[in-house]
Amino acid sequence: MIDTLFSGVIHGSAYALVAVGMSLIFGVTNVANFAQGSIVAVGMMVACQLGGMGWGFAPTALVVIAVTGVLGFVMNAIVISPLEGRKPIAALLATIGVGQIIDSSLQLIFGTRTRPFPDLLETYNFQLGGLRFGTSDIVMAITAIVLMAALWAFLTYGKAGQAIRATSQDPDAARQMGVPVGSIRNLSFVIGSVLAGISGIFVGLFNQSVNPMNGGTIGMTAFVAATIGGLGSIPGAVVGGLALGVIEAFGISWFGDGAHDLITFGALLLILILRPQGLLGGRDSVHSEPMTGTFVGEARPLFLPWWGNLLLVAAAVAVPFFASDYISGVGTQVAIYAIAAVGLTLISGLSGQTVLGIAGSIAVGAYAVGILTTRQHLPFLLALLIAGLVAAVVASLLTAPVWKLSGHYVAIATIGVGAVTVAIIRLWTPLTNGSLGISGIPMPRVFGQLLYTQQMQLLLDVIVLIFAVAIVSRIHRSQLGATFAAVGADQDAAESLGIRSGAYKALAYALAAFFAGIAGGLLAAQYTYIDPTIFTTTMSTLVLTIIVLGGMNSPLGAVLGSIILIGAPELLRVAADARVIVYGLLLVVIILFRPQGLVVRRRAQ
Amino acid sequence: MSIHSTGTNAGTTAARRAARPARRGWRKAVKSALAAIVASTTLLSVSACGLGGDSANSNAADGDTVYIAAIYPATGQYAEYGKLFKEGFDLAVDEVNADGGVGGKTLAIKYYDTQSDAKQDASIAPQIASDQSVIAVVGDYASPASSAASPTFQQAGLVHYGFNNSASTFTDTGDHVWTPQISQEQYQKANADVVAKKAKKISVVYIENDWGKQAYDFFKQEAEKNGTEIVYESSYLSDSTDLSPILIPARDAQPDAIVDIGYGPDGALVVNTLRDKLGYTGPFFGGQETSEFLENAGSNAEGTIITGSFSATGTKDSKAQAFVKAFNDRYGNNPGNFEVTAYQAIKDLAYAANKTSPTRDGIQQALQTVTDFPLYQGNGGTFKFNTETRRADNIDPILLIVKDGKFVQYDPDTDSASN
Repeated sequence: MIDTLFSGVIHGSAYALVAVGMSLIFGVTNVANFAQGSIVAVGMMVACQLGGMGWGFAPTALVVIAVTGVLGFVMNAIVISPLEGRKPIAALLATIGVGQIIDSSLQLIFGTRTRPFPDLLETYNFQLGGLRFGTSDIVMAITAIVLMAALWAFLTYGKAGQAIRATSQDPDAARQMGVPVGSIRNLSFVIGSVLAGISGIFVGLFNQSVNPMNGGTIGMTAFVAATIGGLGSIPGAVVGGLALGVIEAFGISWFGDGAHDLITFGALLLILILRPQGLLGGRDSVHSEPMTGTFVGEARPLFLPWWGNLLLVAAAVAVPFFASDYISGVGTQVAIYAIAAVGLTLISGLSGQTVLGIAGSIAVGAYAVGILTTRQHLPFLLALLIAGLVAAVVASLLTAPVWKLSGHYVAIATIGVGAVTVAIIRLWTPLTNGSLGISGIPMPRVFGQLLYTQQMQLLLDVIVLIFAVAIVSRIHRSQLGATFAAVGADQDAAESLGIRSGAYKALAYALAAFFAGIAGGLLAAQYTYIDPTIFTTTMSTLVLTIIVLGGMNSPLGAVLGSIILIGAPELLRVAADARVIVYGLLLVVIILFRPQGLVVRRRAQ
Repeated sequence: MSIHSTGTNAGTTAARRAARPARRGWRKAVKSALAAIVASTTLLSVSACGLGGDSANSNAADGDTVYIAAIYPATGQYAEYGKLFKEGFDLAVDEVNADGGVGGKTLAIKYYDTQSDAKQDASIAPQIASDQSVIAVVGDYASPASSAASPTFQQAGLVHYGFNNSASTFTDTGDHVWTPQISQEQYQKANADVVAKKAKKISVVYIENDWGKQAYDFFKQEAEKNGTEIVYESSYLSDSTDLSPILIPARDAQPDAIVDIGYGPDGALVVNTLRDKLGYTGPFFGGQETSEFLENAGSNAEGTIITGSFSATGTKDSKAQAFVKAFNDRYGNNPGNFEVTAYQAIKDLAYAANKTSPTRDGIQQALQTVTDFPLYQGNGGTFKFNTETRRADNIDPILLIVKDGKFVQYDPDTDSASN
């Protein structure tokens, strides 16, 4: 009991340290930096390398500070600051691309293997009850608290600190008051990155074994911790980190580590529902909403004339008849992701609500088809339709409490909903077969015809996609679509016209989940095997990225985005080792130079 | 400021549109989509080459080189295993060609990086299946990824040789899906038996994925048969970094031994947490025969016992010893289980091709009929396939113990390590 509590506190202080940097960037620069975890990994790997060569703690820390500081500066100068004045969601997605570039570069530099972290400080030289701990743990906890205090003092009393806050509140006003806004933003990013780097050293000491790919998980957990404490609140980050550490320790101790994700993200959802501003967050600690917004205000989708649509449909249907097996195989993936993405334009495009957990709905659809076709022996098309409906119902039930929240809290909640959905699938063994997955899912049979070639499956996927695009385009142009757009463009204005924005967002999300469920069903029938590890956060961000690329509210753009983002990794096979890096670069470049998406026109000013 | 005003404009425009009555056209949209699809499908099915797939449209390629396609993780979270596999593959293919190739042709490997990700396996499989110079496929690392590619190979009449896929359902996809990997049932039976010799009460932790779950079920069955009492059990996620919350109760249940069923990095995390942080000094069974595990667990790994299929220092088989020497000459270290299974996979397929013909059909036929595949693992000799299960019939697991920082073969009867 005491041992569990104490181990939770130690682990929590590791979370706290990372969360402080996360909260600083979020609250002060208004950027939800999804590359923060990757920068922690940079600090960790650099320290591992130098420590392994026999360097002491202090020189190692200095080099880590220098490396991550430069990295933060470069990242802001090249990627983030050019996006200033655009919707914050663009910066968020750019940081996802940067994170991919950093993760893959780390893997190229440091290799793929998990390695022991050098004992830069003593790790197990004290004992309390049945638990040993070390100087490293004490220094880590003290560092977290000292950094918290120092940052607070700096932001409150320091000249540069005050300038940082002024810039985040209103960059135009700050500029008029003589604040060098550009330099101040650079400074914020450098501080945030250095914090990440330093915490990397301690996370390495705590974890004992490190791998260059650890960044993603570290970043996501720290983000959860920061949210629990109150995003944008520095003391909140420390409290949130400690709270998450202790909650996880007891939760896992009672339910087993198999329920780890359910506990972590369940805690996130619970806190969002009960106290959305977090344990210590003030209502106004975040000045704008870095995780919401739409590009609808800046651009409008291209809708083609009827003959244009007809030509496109004919061309799309023609592909399976002429494509090789390989092209068809890639094509099925492109079409399936496009179906999920087309649906997502309704909620994330039109209604302006970023959704980061759509993989949960894809998983529900995949499992519905898997279970209905293998156990109930339902015909494929019927199972597919039910899959869409089940996904919509599950998504509606799980998100029901979050629509009373506003802005980016909903976006964060969708991360939790996605993760909790997959965690429930993993734990509900009698229904889903848990981690063992469902195998032997039959290939689709449509009107008596077994679709046994890639071309046949592609034809099915393309036809479903055409229906999806037709229906979603129709919704875009309907009264319902106009209402969604009103909610997305200006929620306050919409409310004042009597539109209940929460209800409409819930409806848009249910529609998106329906299409995601259909996509999942097609996926299950194509893989013939599914298990919970397929439906990751990466899948969620991928679908979101597809529509960002194509134009957030353009169904046709979603198709094009899918062709580029799902097809590109295949085309990039020539680049071998560097292909994930190239992929990340592509994402960043597109967001930098065409942030409104590909298939849209700029709105006439 | 300008953004905000644009937003308001768009909002009110949209709201004004919202106030307009809905037009008909719902049915029209769906109808016209349907009409277009039907029209173009009819047009195409009479004119084009159809949906039969490449294999229906092309003949087998002629050439002096035939290929084995390797789907494997060169990058991503499993890249370490991909590296080990490739060492085995490369050595084997060079040896095959030095011995005259396969049926007079040169054997080569086409490598496809999948990150052992089901999505990428499914994408790349059709390209491999349509490449008529490919006579068999080996890989992938993880069963879910492998299984996503299997149906395509099955459909193309191409042997999918999942040499690392011990999941008991792996070969269910069809008659072209094979694996020489010892099934988890056999591995875990051997594992539970050796544990029973040392302990009456045990705590068990295992990795939460398809492999771990299945392995633990088999382990538990055998432990019950042996009368071993499991006083604590919990799974853990592969990306968890702090396992103290489950290892504290595992320790406090006062078991005679603690067992971990998992991979290398997590095995190191479990044993390090137990020894360094929780002060546990009793026997530990777990880990993985990789230098990654040994390096991360350090001295804590000493004395751990696991099941495996191969011991570079313990093998008595002459061709296996020759393999160890060749591997050492080329890479400067002894091969482990991952390297030997990859090496053997290529050797098996080459042997099959030489017994029949270096074609897709030849390989399939050989796997069904040949009864003397040279065996490098286990106790050496030869092995054959069970044509019902498409698994190797007579490869026995062996036990390995860490002694002086290295895995060596362990003899449970004399409780001794052989060097």
